[in-house]
Amino acid sequence: MKIERRALAGAAVLVLVIVAVGILMGGFASPYHQRLFFTFLVNLIAVLGLQVFMGNSDITHFGHIGFMGISAYVTAILATPVAIKGSALATAPFGLNTFAIAPLLAVLIAVLVTLAVAFLVGVMMVRQNGVPATIATLAFLVIVNVVAMNWVDLTRGPRAFYGIPVKATIAWGLASASFAILLARAFRDSKWGLQLRASSEDVAAASAVGVRIRKLRFAAWMLSAFMMAIAGSLFTLFVGTISPKSFYFDLTFLTLAMLILGGMHSVTGAVVGCVIVTIGVEIMRFLESGPVVAGLQLPEMFGLTGFFLGLIIVLSMTFRPSGLMGADEIDDLWHRRRLRKAGIDIS
Amino acid sequence: MDYLLQQSMNALSLGGEYALLALGLAIVFSVMGLVNFAHGDMITFGGYAMFLVAAGLGIANPALLLPVGVLSVALFAMFLERVAFKPVRGAHPTTGMLTAFGVSILIQNVALIFVGTRAKSVPTMDFLVANVTIGAIRVPVVQILETAVTVVAIALLVVFLRRTTTGIAMRAAAKDVQTVRLMGVRADRVVATAFAISGFLAGLATIFVLARRGAVDPFMGFTPVLKAFVAAVIGGFGSLPGAVIGGVVLGIAEVMLQVVLPESMAGFRDAFIFTAVGVLLLVRPQGILGQRPDFGEKS
Repeated sequence: MKIERRALAGAAVLVLVIVAVGILMGGFASPYHQRLFFTFLVNLIAVLGLQVFMGNSDITHFGHIGFMGISAYVTAILATPVAIKGSALATAPFGLNTFAIAPLLAVLIAVLVTLAVAFLVGVMMVRQNGVPATIATLAFLVIVNVVAMNWVDLTRGPRAFYGIPVKATIAWGLASASFAILLARAFRDSKWGLQLRASSEDVAAASAVGVRIRKLRFAAWMLSAFMMAIAGSLFTLFVGTISPKSFYFDLTFLTLAMLILGGMHSVTGAVVGCVIVTIGVEIMRFLESGPVVAGLQLPEMFGLTGFFLGLIIVLSMTFRPSGLMGADEIDDLWHRRRLRKAGIDIS
Repeated sequence: MDYLLQQSMNALSLGGEYALLALGLAIVFSVMGLVNFAHGDMITFGGYAMFLVAAGLGIANPALLLPVGVLSVALFAMFLERVAFKPVRGAHPTTGMLTAFGVSILIQNVALIFVGTRAKSVPTMDFLVANVTIGAIRVPVVQILETAVTVVAIALLVVFLRRTTTGIAMRAAAKDVQTVRLMGVRADRVVATAFAISGFLAGLATIFVLARRGAVDPFMGFTPVLKAFVAAVIGGFGSLPGAVIGGVVLGIAEVMLQVVLPESMAGFRDAFIFTAVGVLLLVRPQGILGQRPDFGEKS
């Protein structure tokens, strides 16, 4: 893939900012804020993974968190020590509770399993047009949840899966998130990404000039699933305890709101949306618990966070459907500024 | 034989419920291209309206609650159209769909904030849950009613779409909105009617959903509407007859699986159903009555 230098510079700036903040957080922030930052990194990878498919193909994807869940559970099942699995997964099938493997190897296998599932779903997905495709992604999310909730021998069902080795550090998170930014940007600005974006604007025209839409859509789908798998494994190895609820609607709404606010056609937008919504949700969580603000006792309002996410989506769609960044990347902004300074009209 | 009859009644009534919801989705989609993810939350709204009227006004007679359920949902659908969907009319289809998705999250969380997570019970309509004996089989009244109401509603809808000016305008709008407007038909009215019908059908479904569950909670609308979406996809998305067929097919498939699956696998039912639908779409991407997805290539 040949990528423009300007795109690479734009991605590098995003990476540098995140890494700089990460080093500061790792060095000085409280454990609570470090946790928050790590969750932010995981969500960022997930939002970027979502962007790769949704932003380039323009098909709304509600199933991305399903891939995260698959990867998270595979990692958990493989990497959890035998001592814990013996009691927690006493009836595990295929003798899965008789051995445990190194976390990194578990991540590798989890990614491969996720990709295998993504392949099967993807074969069906790429034959569909927008709306049925979207509903298929939603049905996929439900399937993953139903299996995780009901295959009790393998996943402990609705109960929490605990005792997963906590290995991931902020450094792992930073490395993965940086990789995700570069990957998303490289795909978007590659020949394939451009062709796929063109096909989402006009199927007939793109097809007429020889764009192989299904193949490209499939490529974006697989790349997206790969990034979701990384996010899922990372999450598992950081929190150490997961349940099917961790990978269902709450996270789906959250990541979608982030991407929509930032602008789904832009990698920079994904990052910006992730930052703003993370801060907003933190404020909402605080208000939700019924705190005392300026001597005023606020009522407990369970559901405020969800309300906030819904509001972000509706307001973005009504007033700025293409999100804060539109189809612009950070380097597009500089570039335009430089042209304007040079007196070139680009409107 | 009796068992078979009983299960077919089961399948038909469930299929009827899905058909009512899927039709509502298809009507709105065909007229204004909106994928209404908030459709399920209209059911929730109807449920809460019935709950509040029952609890607030102390109406004990459940028969009086039935019109409350149906009409509140129809009005709510028209209200949503005005407030939420009018601003995004004519926008990119993704914009409309995501707006509806956001509206759905908003409604759920407003219910969560103001009414709470716990399910609230709605007075069950005794005559709905009663059983009648026909020949050798005992059938719940709700199943007979559900099937009958679905058939009547579809028949009325067909008459409306074929015989009335507004109905014909709606069918025309499904083909080409601009031309319909040039003919002097107000687009606002066509869209409002579509939402009213969609809400009315969802209102009917609300009654049956509640007769089965007996209680309302903020997220009760999700599962029925997801099934309705799947039904619409099976039938061919955007096709009205397809929505009905898809609903019935899905109802039959669910009841069959329920009968066939051993108890230990019962929890996986929806996973099996959706996987089967995925395989169906692999073979026939356009569903039963839909149009082939256009990838701009020669057919």
